[in-house]
Amino acid sequence: MTDTPAMAAPAIQAPDLTRTKNLDQWICWWSIPVFYNLFGIVFVYLARLMPPPSPGLTTDQIIHFIRSNATHLQIAIVTLSLSLGLASLSSGIIVVQMRRMKGAGPALAYAYLAALAVAALPGCLFCGLMFALAAFRPDRDPALVVLLYDMGLLSFVGSLGCFIVQYMVFAIAIFLDEREIFPKWLGYMSIWGVVTELLAIPIWIFRSGPYAWNGLISFYLGTIIFVVWEFCLVVSLYKAIKTQPSQEVLA
Amino acid sequence: MNTTDQRICLWLVPGFGALLMLAFCIFPGFFPPLSPTLSAEEVATFYRNNVGPIRASMLICNVCGVAFIPFFMVIVVQMQRMANPSRAFAYSYLSAAASGATLFALADLAWLIAAFRPERDPQLTMLLNDLAWMAFVTPVGFILAQNLSLALGIYMDAQPRPVFPRWVGHFNIAAALLMTPGAFALMFMTGPLAWDGALAFWLRVGSYALYLAVMFFVVRAAIDRQAVEEGATA
Repeated sequence: MTDTPAMAAPAIQAPDLTRTKNLDQWICWWSIPVFYNLFGIVFVYLARLMPPPSPGLTTDQIIHFIRSNATHLQIAIVTLSLSLGLASLSSGIIVVQMRRMKGAGPALAYAYLAALAVAALPGCLFCGLMFALAAFRPDRDPALVVLLYDMGLLSFVGSLGCFIVQYMVFAIAIFLDEREIFPKWLGYMSIWGVVTELLAIPIWIFRSGPYAWNGLISFYLGTIIFVVWEFCLVVSLYKAIKTQPSQEVLA
Repeated sequence: MNTTDQRICLWLVPGFGALLMLAFCIFPGFFPPLSPTLSAEEVATFYRNNVGPIRASMLICNVCGVAFIPFFMVIVVQMQRMANPSRAFAYSYLSAAASGATLFALADLAWLIAAFRPERDPQLTMLLNDLAWMAFVTPVGFILAQNLSLALGIYMDAQPRPVFPRWVGHFNIAAALLMTPGAFALMFMTGPLAWDGALAFWLRVGSYALYLAVMFFVVRAAIDRQAVEEGATA
């Protein structure tokens, strides 16, 4: 593919937005902290789905959880519906940085993008839709409210494969990369990401204890490792953009 | 530079667009849109009485609903021609377009499943109907991300003759804002923000149709110019 070379535009024609170096990547970079702050407000503060309510609640308790929380749940999921696209922007910058790597071809970068494009529905928005359906009509047949509760939380905590692929291709790319765009330790941390997804497998079987969807291992350990990983990713991306040679042509 | 592939993807828009318009018109629940205030019994009666047209409409959507993906990928190709510092926005656009299509597919499945056994317990039919409407109307985040990435790409296209004129950026942001009210349909039973409301439904569907029609001509012009420019330099 032949790209039109970025010609030096006459001063009058240069739009303001092109003056800041790497502005496109910085916008995408900011989407990550903005999204995860919103994500925290949505799932932790408003919806109270993180940490998740127990799979062991009785039908009455589940209905009470939805009813007493309905407005907050709805505001939370409206916010999620509006902002989930920010996740696409964060994929954008990660692909750009992965394509700077030497020794790791673009296949891994594209796999990262595709895995997260798949993950958006089963891993996040589906949960939102299920709780939106429950909160919309809390007077539904109680068995259906329980079904929505299960579908929401199981998909949210238990959608594993797309995130395993994301962590895995990211780790492989970092290990193959000769330029050290990202530090090698971030690759090892991504392997831990894979492990946390595997540790969530038992949520599909256990309804109480450390392996339930709100359990010490399946939820808390996984979530702590995820938060630390995400933080390290944001810092590493910041450094990668900052240290990018100014003359480098980006794909 | 051969642009035949892009032109084929481009011309899928009027073809599949016409089929989707037909599907939209024959769906008995759009004129007027089915109200969220209907009881379970009324929703079940609607499905029982309209099985044929619902299936016909939603089968067309099932077959054609994701057919705009090739068109969006033409936009990705055009975004890669922009003189942006990197291709970050093109990749973001690609990702958002793919995620967004999954939601339409989910809505379509829920409508078809509800019509598959209309004699089901009305509570179940209502649940499927709720899911279909919510998945169709409310998740606007990916359209926002798509249009925003494209607009930002256009604003940062630092070349004497940008791929898309700047007004296309403004147009994309305006279209995104007009579709935003759809998200609120998951908390309102009545009024303009309910899923059958003027803002959440008609404004959203209308702006999307208009958006695609305008973008068809805009993208066609960009492909034409690419053919001329790259043909001339070859």
